[in-house]
Amino acid sequence: MPGIQLFDNRRDRKSPFARFEKSRLGLYLHIPFCRAKCAYCDFYSFVPNEEEIMERYVDALILHMQSYRAGAKDYLPDTVFIGGGTPTALPIELLLKLIRAVKRNFTLAKGAEFTLEANPATVDVGMLRRLRWAGVNRLSMGLQSANNEELAALSRVHRREDFAESFRAARRARIENINVDLMFGIPYQTKKSLMKTLAYVVRLGPEHISLYDLILEPSTPLAKRAPGLPMPSDDEEADMYLAAVEFLAQNGYAQYEVSNFARPGYQCRHNLKYWNCEEYLGLGASAHSYFRDSRFSFARDVKRYMHGIEVPTSRIKMTDENDVISPQERIGEYIMLRFRLTAGLSDREFTRRFGFSFTQKYGKKMQPYISGGFAAYKDGVYALTPRGMFVSNYILSDLLDFEDLGQLHLFSGMK
Amino acid sequence: MAKEKRTHIRNFSIIAHIDHGKSTLADRILEFSKAVEKRDMEEQLLDNMDLEKERGITIKARAVRVNYKAPDGQEYALNLIDTPGHVDFNYEVSRSLNACEGALLVVDATQGIQAQTLGNAYLAVDAGLEIVPVINKIDLASADPDRVIGEIEDIIGIPAEGCPLVSAKTGLNIQDVMDAIVRDIPAPEGDTEAQLRCLIFDSVYNSYLGVVTYVRVMDGTVRAGDRIRMMSTGAEFDVVEVGFMDAFGLKKQDVLEAGDVGYITASIKTVSDTRVGDTITLAEGGAEEPLPGFEEALPMVYAGIYPADGARYNETKEALEKLQLNDAALTFEPETSAALGFGFRCGFLGLLHMEIIEERLEREFNLDLITTAPSVIYEVTLHDGTLVRVDNPSNYPAPEKIEVAAEPVVSANIITPTEFVGNIMELCQDRRGTFHDMKYLDAGRAELHYTLPLNEIIYDFFDTMKSRTKGYASLDYEMKGYEPSNLVKLDFLLNGEIVDALTFIVHSEKAYGRARRIAEKLKENIPRQLFEIPIQAAIGSKVIARETVKALRKDVLAKCYGGDITRKKKLLEKQKEGKKKMRQLGSVQVSPEAFMAVLKLDDDT
Repeated sequence: MPGIQLFDNRRDRKSPFARFEKSRLGLYLHIPFCRAKCAYCDFYSFVPNEEEIMERYVDALILHMQSYRAGAKDYLPDTVFIGGGTPTALPIELLLKLIRAVKRNFTLAKGAEFTLEANPATVDVGMLRRLRWAGVNRLSMGLQSANNEELAALSRVHRREDFAESFRAARRARIENINVDLMFGIPYQTKKSLMKTLAYVVRLGPEHISLYDLILEPSTPLAKRAPGLPMPSDDEEADMYLAAVEFLAQNGYAQYEVSNFARPGYQCRHNLKYWNCEEYLGLGASAHSYFRDSRFSFARDVKRYMHGIEVPTSRIKMTDENDVISPQERIGEYIMLRFRLTAGLSDREFTRRFGFSFTQKYGKKMQPYISGGFAAYKDGVYALTPRGMFVSNYILSDLLDFEDLGQLHLFSGMK
Repeated sequence: MAKEKRTHIRNFSIIAHIDHGKSTLADRILEFSKAVEKRDMEEQLLDNMDLEKERGITIKARAVRVNYKAPDGQEYALNLIDTPGHVDFNYEVSRSLNACEGALLVVDATQGIQAQTLGNAYLAVDAGLEIVPVINKIDLASADPDRVIGEIEDIIGIPAEGCPLVSAKTGLNIQDVMDAIVRDIPAPEGDTEAQLRCLIFDSVYNSYLGVVTYVRVMDGTVRAGDRIRMMSTGAEFDVVEVGFMDAFGLKKQDVLEAGDVGYITASIKTVSDTRVGDTITLAEGGAEEPLPGFEEALPMVYAGIYPADGARYNETKEALEKLQLNDAALTFEPETSAALGFGFRCGFLGLLHMEIIEERLEREFNLDLITTAPSVIYEVTLHDGTLVRVDNPSNYPAPEKIEVAAEPVVSANIITPTEFVGNIMELCQDRRGTFHDMKYLDAGRAELHYTLPLNEIIYDFFDTMKSRTKGYASLDYEMKGYEPSNLVKLDFLLNGEIVDALTFIVHSEKAYGRARRIAEKLKENIPRQLFEIPIQAAIGSKVIARETVKALRKDVLAKCYGGDITRKKKLLEKQKEGKKKMRQLGSVQVSPEAFMAVLKLDDDT
């Protein structure tokens, strides 16, 4: 592959059988197409003006997979996630072609989780059934809000009614693991309207719920409009968040990450890889990877991405980022990511990984957060409480003391 | 040998209110005498510091010799001694004037006499100088030279009929000025046989030459090789070189004689050895009596200066040392603040001097600074009779120990259009001024005299006066002495802990207003933190104002960026960087910017 060296160092492991075992891997495929661009979205996606570009892109993605086929031989993907954009914006035949190529190029682990993001109003039962037959066993659907006024403020293409129909279609297609994406902090939203949305979703009964705080990314149309819209204040959002965590728990959806809730056994295994510092390979324009000790991302530009794939000899730059993560950096990442999980950070596991005790280094700094109710410590495990999670940037930026970790060059690979 | 007239020398200064055209006229004089080609001349040659140029203010005096061939066919050496134009530097102005026999009093033909016109004119009269009025800016449509001539005659009492009417900007009638200098300003006199006495009116540090000392030789002669003595300190040096400065630089001479203006170099390491106003004589067989009028330049205003980044303490110290080489009026000593860490308590001649030092530190030495609110020196007499001079509010004695406290006051002279007299009186009243008298200068303008506490003047008085008079009023003041005053120490507490850097001394009547305002500013500027932060203002143990910074409840990246961990790290890193700059005030973190915003003096109307 141009731009990247991927296949050199074999990871060394402690087990004598290690070299016979295969490493687990998450596989992510990015589809940067949408029917319409939502006002808040700053992911890499656009509305394609012709079908050819989608065909060409899927072909490039398949070629890209092929190029990894040999290099990822010692890996056993146990999660696949096709996200976007809107993967279901692809014509169904293209989507199926892509899924078949995944299975042709990688041997998936038994019982692998295979998620497809789908937008309401872009799916029907027949199509969903064919996707299940092809191997998709988890559907992630973006509802965002069950309030049509709020949906309009986000310029979503669907309404609440469309979503209900799509959700029922998925169930009829016997997809038994469904996530519903929700948002809070939306223009016009109140705690009351959020609770109504949650009650509505709980009644539908998906296995998994994601509840993201709407972030106004400066480049988005919504960020420009927001000053003129009734936006919930930070304090109101904190109230919403805490109320949502409580309500979802009462209804069987335990929080396991800052923004993620699931019924027992239905945590998203793919997303957990991000937070557990496990390896994942992201293919497609703008897709991010953590693979063989490097974090890298491919070109955030479809044309550049496709050209790089199609003309392997070209000198075009395929990656936007490509940083080798030093052992020291991993410490900072590990703390940052583990504190997103309710499972928290076990000092034993930490010590095993890094050779020193978390308590010894950070225990004193954690103390005021623990006594203030922002964190908890129990049986050797540190974890943030929901209140602490909602101010986790504050805590983490305090905790990860640069003066202290200066010698360790925390995040030194960052540009 | 008796005193001898140096008939072909003229020593003079130019004095004016700010912006009346002093520096521009100086340029024209240099140009006119062909001392410097126009194209070679940097704009306003006498102002050779960038900062001065930007502010349009001349800070350090310089002397330039100009050779001028007068219409009588004779060649004259004109020594132009530049003077600072701000009340902070009044002492330096007076020393420069003492080096001259005459002064050009430049008055703007559109504005007429202003407060500093009067202040400077009186300084010149007191120094026994001949004053030559020059009416400037006569090219402007709103110029009214006749009215201004009337003002000069009526208010200052010097004849102005037939004085030069010029436009320094366009160069109109500069010939008249040159003729007036030669005709009206007396030639210097002095006894070259007498014991050497030189008046130091400026000194400048130069890394090659050491200190270049600018002098006016009053008596005797001085030449290279002489061993000289500074009469105030007794320090002795060997003269390396004497000469004068012209438009192109230093011109070495064999000798300086009584009546000359020039420079002396003597391998002097710091300007504190050549104090402005001091007398230089010979080490052996020197004069008995120094020239009159020497005073140590005493700081009037003090402030704490701290590097925003504590690690740059040593750099800050070195920078201050370097500035001090050139500025004997700047004093500093190390101090420690619980809030701000290690820094320096610095003494300045006034607010402008303080701003100049701050800017030079930031600009020339690339330092980020936190400066505490300026404070004057309070004189506190304790019950046991001890007199304590307090230059740092944190050191103010406990009230039960104080017999009497006194604060410095100034005698202020304000000139304003009559329509704003009410506003000025209100302002002065509000600033605890004592009214003395008011005179009408003419139908449209009045001059008011007040005694005002200096600590009210350093607290944004000037800006408020300008804003309440549409910029028309002008102010001049001089130190008057100390007066007993009912002062209190006002502390600010964050989370129950006193922030030493925010402590003020304030008159008891003003304590409530000030306390409320600063508490509000703290609330606006302290970022929310995980815990609620009470802000209190207190006199002793009595809380007189309080505010609360609510707890921060949201600070999170909730969004899942599809495995883009780098993005999260970057955001966190940025936040961490911001936190690194934060100052820990007890349990509360405050950014240097927030701190400065709180200390920023602004209109408290």
